[in-house]
Amino acid sequence: MSDAKKPQSAVQTTGHAWDGDIQEFNNPLPNWWLWSFYATVVFAVVYWIFYPAWPVGGGYTTGIMNDITFVDSDGTEKTSHWNTRALLLKEMQEGKSATLSREYLEKVKDADYQTILGDAEMMAFTRSMAVGLFGDNCMPCHGAGGAGVIGLFPNLADDDWLWGGTVEDIEATITNGRYGFMPSFRETFDEQQLDDVASYVLSLSGHEVDDAAAARGKDIFQTQTGGCYYCHGTDGKGLKSQGSANLTDQIWTIADVPGAATLEDKKSLVRQVVVNGVQRTMPAWKDRLDETQIKLLTVYVHELGGGQ
Amino acid sequence: MDTLTTYNYKVVRQFTVMTVVWGIVGMLVGVLIAAELVWPQINMDIPWLTFSRLRPLHTNAVIFAFGGSALFATSYYVVQRTCQTRLFSDKLAAFTFWGWTLVIVLAAVTLPMGITTSKEYAELEWPIDILITLVWVAYAIVFFGTIMKRRVKHIYVANWFYGAFILTVAVLHIVNSAAIPVSLFKSYSVYPGAIDAMVQWWYGHNAVGFFLTAGFLGMMYYFVPKQAGRPVYSYRLSVVHFWALISTYMWAGPHHLHYTALPDWAQSLGMVFSLILLAPSWGGMINGIMTLSGAWHKLRTDPILKFLIVSLSFYGMSTFEGPMMAIKTVNALSHYTDWTIGHVHSGALGWVAMVSIGSVYFLVPKLFGREQMYSVRLIDWHFWMSTIGVVLYIVAMWISGIMQGLMWRAVNDDGTLTYSFVESLEAMYPFYFVRFLGGALFLAGMLLMAYNVIKTVSGARPVNAPIPQTA
Repeated sequence: MSDAKKPQSAVQTTGHAWDGDIQEFNNPLPNWWLWSFYATVVFAVVYWIFYPAWPVGGGYTTGIMNDITFVDSDGTEKTSHWNTRALLLKEMQEGKSATLSREYLEKVKDADYQTILGDAEMMAFTRSMAVGLFGDNCMPCHGAGGAGVIGLFPNLADDDWLWGGTVEDIEATITNGRYGFMPSFRETFDEQQLDDVASYVLSLSGHEVDDAAAARGKDIFQTQTGGCYYCHGTDGKGLKSQGSANLTDQIWTIADVPGAATLEDKKSLVRQVVVNGVQRTMPAWKDRLDETQIKLLTVYVHELGGGQ
Repeated sequence: MDTLTTYNYKVVRQFTVMTVVWGIVGMLVGVLIAAELVWPQINMDIPWLTFSRLRPLHTNAVIFAFGGSALFATSYYVVQRTCQTRLFSDKLAAFTFWGWTLVIVLAAVTLPMGITTSKEYAELEWPIDILITLVWVAYAIVFFGTIMKRRVKHIYVANWFYGAFILTVAVLHIVNSAAIPVSLFKSYSVYPGAIDAMVQWWYGHNAVGFFLTAGFLGMMYYFVPKQAGRPVYSYRLSVVHFWALISTYMWAGPHHLHYTALPDWAQSLGMVFSLILLAPSWGGMINGIMTLSGAWHKLRTDPILKFLIVSLSFYGMSTFEGPMMAIKTVNALSHYTDWTIGHVHSGALGWVAMVSIGSVYFLVPKLFGREQMYSVRLIDWHFWMSTIGVVLYIVAMWISGIMQGLMWRAVNDDGTLTYSFVESLEAMYPFYFVRFLGGALFLAGMLLMAYNVIKTVSGARPVNAPIPQTA
């Protein structure tokens, strides 16, 4: 016989059996269970008295002693029973965080860049406000610290600026976006010429290259043959108006020259850029961010890489 | 076999085997999308493999294919055994099996194609919804028809829960799926705006309450006393918590819409009814676990009983967590975070899957005329893999979820936000990996189960047990 047939407690079963051996004791409801049930019901009734709860006719019970006074969006003061909309309005109007950040935002909005940059308190606010804006808007491309991705997204954390590093330049970049373009020379240059141009370009930043190749490359770069100087300038330092790169420093945004081990590798990377050209777009943010937000980001980006 | 003297085990066998198959499929998709959250590139930019399309496939597969098959299998078994009569109609029962299987196959095709109503847990488009309705009506006829022709006087408590589940799911499905078709694969809900949201979550929460709770409590009320060989702890408790549960669940849906455009009064009602729901839910847990009193020693040696009892512990834990998360101020922290995902999985894996697995291990030998499963040791292995898998999953999501909530609301002294969204995303990364591990472990346990079932079944002759002729 299974032990189901011999209940060990004094409690009786209901006397029914299903499927041979399933029986039921008739233990009383556990007290702690019953009282927790009652407790939740009492809580519910109390809650219903104090908060909006039951639909009645076309309306609902509003609850008692729960009035909220707030300033409505049209500027008039209103008193209403407890509701989350009024609660949010009140929080945005009177809450400590909302009030503080609003005051700071007003200050930043009215100040010019020189004032902001010279005011420690405003700078502290700008940094903490802009780090969130940067994270939500700029970080997907430029990275958390603004370091960018070589070949794709410019580094904002160095002091090299394609489109200018003054606050005015940065503001213009964020507001209207930029289109970075270098034509492809695939059809223009033959293998020899590509090699020569690459050698010359590397010589500009102090790389030891074959002098003869560099000289031939210079001839292509600085004349109508290649016409590179139109955008990069005769000194190779680039033009802000074109967003063209400075070729004389050690900072590379498309070809990872410092990352290549041998001169041949470096040359091959530079050749790739000449062959393929460059097409990069940064979107305009004027329709997505307001002026104050762009201002905050401008100061933040300016600070990131040592603006000009 | 004579249909008058035997139970219909054929449809039970079909659904039981498919429970294991769909469990593996559904959990495999789950593990895949968990991996996509850690390594996004593995969707290979193929639209059908993206998280957005596979996620509804995962939820539909585990809830309706795995959970649904487990419910069909056990309810057909339990209702026959406890009513001491064969199913009301073998043909209709067969229709429910093939119909339900067709629904699942159609879901597996349409969801990855991006055909969806976009209503959570009700994504299937209107032609499939109609098929579901037909299958469900047939299910109700078979189940209640069998109850009607029962040869014992009293209706066993498991059947109350199964019955409530079948009736309510019919109502939920029909009301929430009401839509105006504009083409074969596109329809629009008949409800506007916030009303649509409220109807959706009235459905959504009761899918949890009646599909994933009431139905599986029915399962628990048969298999726990059977496996423990002990009488159910309290008939009185089962009556009280049954009525309390089914009358309260219906009201709790609005807690999914706290702090939204839903009117405040509806949010209040949803919150307090969720709190009232705590004790009725626990009634089932108490009744199940206390059934073991006097037989606790069996837990040491019987891994099937371990599955059943631990599932009840997870049930108790998640039905405590649920009402807490329904409190508005807690919800302000937990909503939209991974905490919710963790909560759902402590219910879905810890409760629903584990009680089903225990029941399937009970059923398979009986349906195929074996003394017991091929390997009891492997069941024990499966038990520990499942338990550790669930715990890894839940704990990872608790940490990640609460961290997300805290990071999103962190404010500096000057009123600015401390973190950008993407920083919270970066912080979640390690926990997404732990979640993937937990899920993979649970899936591996299911594969072990499949092996064990194949070994048990191969060479066995399907049996249809005789109906005892004494009432």
